[in-house]
Amino acid sequence: MPMEEKIGVYVCECGPNIADKVDIDKVVETISSLPSVNVVERHKLLCSEDGKKFLKESIQKNELTRIVVAACSPKQHEVTFMRVCESAGINPYFFQLTNIREQCAWIIDDKEEATERTIRYIRAAIRRVLYHKALEKKEIEANPDVLVIGGGIAGISASLLLASGDRKVYLIEKTKVVGGKVREFAKLFPRMEPCSDIISQKIKEVENNKNIEVHTDSEVSEVLGFLGNFVAKVNTSENKAIEQPSEQAIKEKGLENKELELKVGAVVVATGFSMLDLQQLPQYGYGKYDNVYTALEFEKMNAEGKILLKNGKPPKQIAIIHCVGREKVGYCSRVCCMYSLKFANYIKSKLPSVKVSHLYTDLTVPGKTYQKFYEQTKEKDVEFIRAQDIEITESNGQLTINHKGTPNLKPLNTDMVILSSAITPSSDAHKLAEMLNISQGDNGFFVEEHPKLAPVSTSMEGIFITGCAQGPKNISDSIVQAQAVAGKILSSIIPGKKLELEVKTSEISEALCIGCQTCLEVCSYGAIYFDEIKRVCIVNEVLCRGCGNCVGSCPSGAASSKHFTTTQLHQEVVEALR
Amino acid sequence: MKDDFEPTIIGFLCRWCSYAGADLAGTSRLQYPPSMLPIRVMCSSRVDPVFIITAFLRGADAVLVAGCHPGDCHYIEGNYYTRRRFACLRKIFETLGMESDRIRLSWISASEGPRFAQVVTDYTDKIKKLGPNPAKKEIFL
Ligand SMILES: Cc1cc2nc3c(=O)[nH]c(=O)nc-3n(C[C@H](O)[C@H](O)[C@H](O)COP(=O)(O)OP(=O)(O)OC[C@H]3O[C@@H](n4cnc5c(N)ncnc54)[C@H](O)[C@@H]3O)c2cc1C
Ligand code: SF4
Ligand code: SF4
Ligand code: SF4
Ligand code: FES
Repeated sequence: MPMEEKIGVYVCECGPNIADKVDIDKVVETISSLPSVNVVERHKLLCSEDGKKFLKESIQKNELTRIVVAACSPKQHEVTFMRVCESAGINPYFFQLTNIREQCAWIIDDKEEATERTIRYIRAAIRRVLYHKALEKKEIEANPDVLVIGGGIAGISASLLLASGDRKVYLIEKTKVVGGKVREFAKLFPRMEPCSDIISQKIKEVENNKNIEVHTDSEVSEVLGFLGNFVAKVNTSENKAIEQPSEQAIKEKGLENKELELKVGAVVVATGFSMLDLQQLPQYGYGKYDNVYTALEFEKMNAEGKILLKNGKPPKQIAIIHCVGREKVGYCSRVCCMYSLKFANYIKSKLPSVKVSHLYTDLTVPGKTYQKFYEQTKEKDVEFIRAQDIEITESNGQLTINHKGTPNLKPLNTDMVILSSAITPSSDAHKLAEMLNISQGDNGFFVEEHPKLAPVSTSMEGIFITGCAQGPKNISDSIVQAQAVAGKILSSIIPGKKLELEVKTSEISEALCIGCQTCLEVCSYGAIYFDEIKRVCIVNEVLCRGCGNCVGSCPSGAASSKHFTTTQLHQEVVEALR
Repeated sequence: MKDDFEPTIIGFLCRWCSYAGADLAGTSRLQYPPSMLPIRVMCSSRVDPVFIITAFLRGADAVLVAGCHPGDCHYIEGNYYTRRRFACLRKIFETLGMESDRIRLSWISASEGPRFAQVVTDYTDKIKKLGPNPAKKEIFL
């Protein structure tokens, strides 16, 4: 047992909430009789201003070194009382809150029983607090600048919002131009407004914004560090010289190929998507027959002007096939039905007499505007056929689509086929995942930290995902997500303000570690690394979130969680069972 | 004798889901047997199987480990590791001829107050039928 400590126990009545259900006199009497306890007090409402003052003064007057409060759930007032401890001049971790309200008074009808339980809880808390260690708040400087990888609509939107919040943004785009896939589109569903208006305006805004430094023809080759302190290496072969080399651009090698070193506090991954390689689905005849196009090829052809067959003649019949590859990838790409409808509108406005047939398995038209778009498209004399097991053949330039799904329907003859194929993770996704230490799901898209609670963060604090890099979605959703990312960054890194780190991290005893690296494997945050020279594992406290998984897995007892040490938990359990 | 046996169950509850579920059971004033002593941990994955064994040696009649539902762990994958460790522990129990019913792993979310109360009620009934932990008498340290 640790040395002489002066322990104070404070029992809160919570008005009638606890007092009605627990015999507080008896609790105070019993706890007072314990040899290790110096002060036992009760209070009507400990979290009130009056209660906090009372607690603070009592701690100081009695020169206490350990505090136990028996009150409500830690979720309610753990932080409140830790602050009181701090203001009374005692380390806030020399405190233990035990929950005698939600998990005692409120669930037990029998007063005697609830009183007995309360005493037991308090005894366990006293025992635990004796083994507590003082922990200090840790703060680090944070760089407010942001690195955005990928200059599609998602990357652009995030950059613009960040820049309007006066952040310096480095926007890194692999190709020669920013804008992403959207640049190829003539119009946008569901309003069929010209795409160029929106995208060219955004591109202009990005290029003219003095807070945004755009690097095209550039790729990120390395990112090291953590939230608030990342260092990224960028290879750039752009020929437009950066007029004013920023302070950040420290290293520059050669003339054509330069390497930039950027210091940033957060990283946004907005690398977009690729499309399923249609060579994998030979039944559609892509690459084999002349007039079978991918969706992106058709977008491009339409945007460039005329919709024509390879022989230069206009088509009489066009078939649009939905859900190409959906089964293969195992998810719905969310936008294919909609852009397929958009294609029908392109065709009908350019070539009104062409017969347009949609072959679909399920139609995905969610939300408040899509259904209407579908109905309007249907009215333009567009055919919808439910079809499965599609196979395309060709003879003498005529394409034939064999299909099942609707009984008694003959194979469909057509001049041109457009394949609305699945959206897949960007071809760079794997490389980026490795470089950034973030995860990809089974389907290859980057995984969010938590689908509901943290949908744009990743397991690496400070690295965010947005747009189609996170999963298939339309432009509006990409922008919504990009703005969410910007909001997260603007609110988590504030210029001039230091970042507070998790205090209850893990640590590894060099003396006890056998170097098995089990802990390293179970950590979801890459917070543990192996020291090759010492042959032991080491916790990077900046990355550690304090879950304790490594501790639960360590075979040698070398890993331990601060404030949840094996001794602390063991003592709590043993005393609770006494 | 078995009739008035009131089991003592140690409950390791992860703070994000199951502990919050237990709080909700309280806030909703659900009544359940006062058999479980809650021990709050950051994540169910912190629960070293050794804790469970110690609890038995120190007289617990059963141990409940509760965490977030699969896929909902606040630390991404912690509870999958919990599940694996638990499966191993169960095997060890069986090999040593111990009653593996005395350990239970449950997924209880922060919004499942009623489920929390139900799990504790059912488990208490079950342990009542099993009777006191024989290890209490048999093992001397
Ligand atoms: C045929 C088709 C038609 C569509 N029509 C519509 C429509 O009408 N309306 C609508 O709302 N949505 C439509 N969509 C969906 C729309 O395309 C997406 O929502 C949008 O493009 C997502 O933007 P993004 O920035 O996430 O990805 P992208 O547009 O893919 O942009 C990603 C950018 O990142 C760059 N990049 C990739 N890897 C790297 C790297 N390693 N380093 C640096 N840069 C990199 C790429 O070069 C690209 O510029 C359509 C989709 C398709 C396939
Ligand atoms: S500290 Fe908690 S238990 Fe005490 S009065 Fe405040 S809310 Fe009630
Ligand atoms: S699991 Fe334990 S013994 Fe193994 S490397 Fe990690 S800290 Fe060391
Ligand atoms: S406590 Fe969790 S986050 Fe920290 S090092 Fe261990 S496993 Fe990783
Ligand atoms: S945080 Fe609840 S199980 Fe991991």
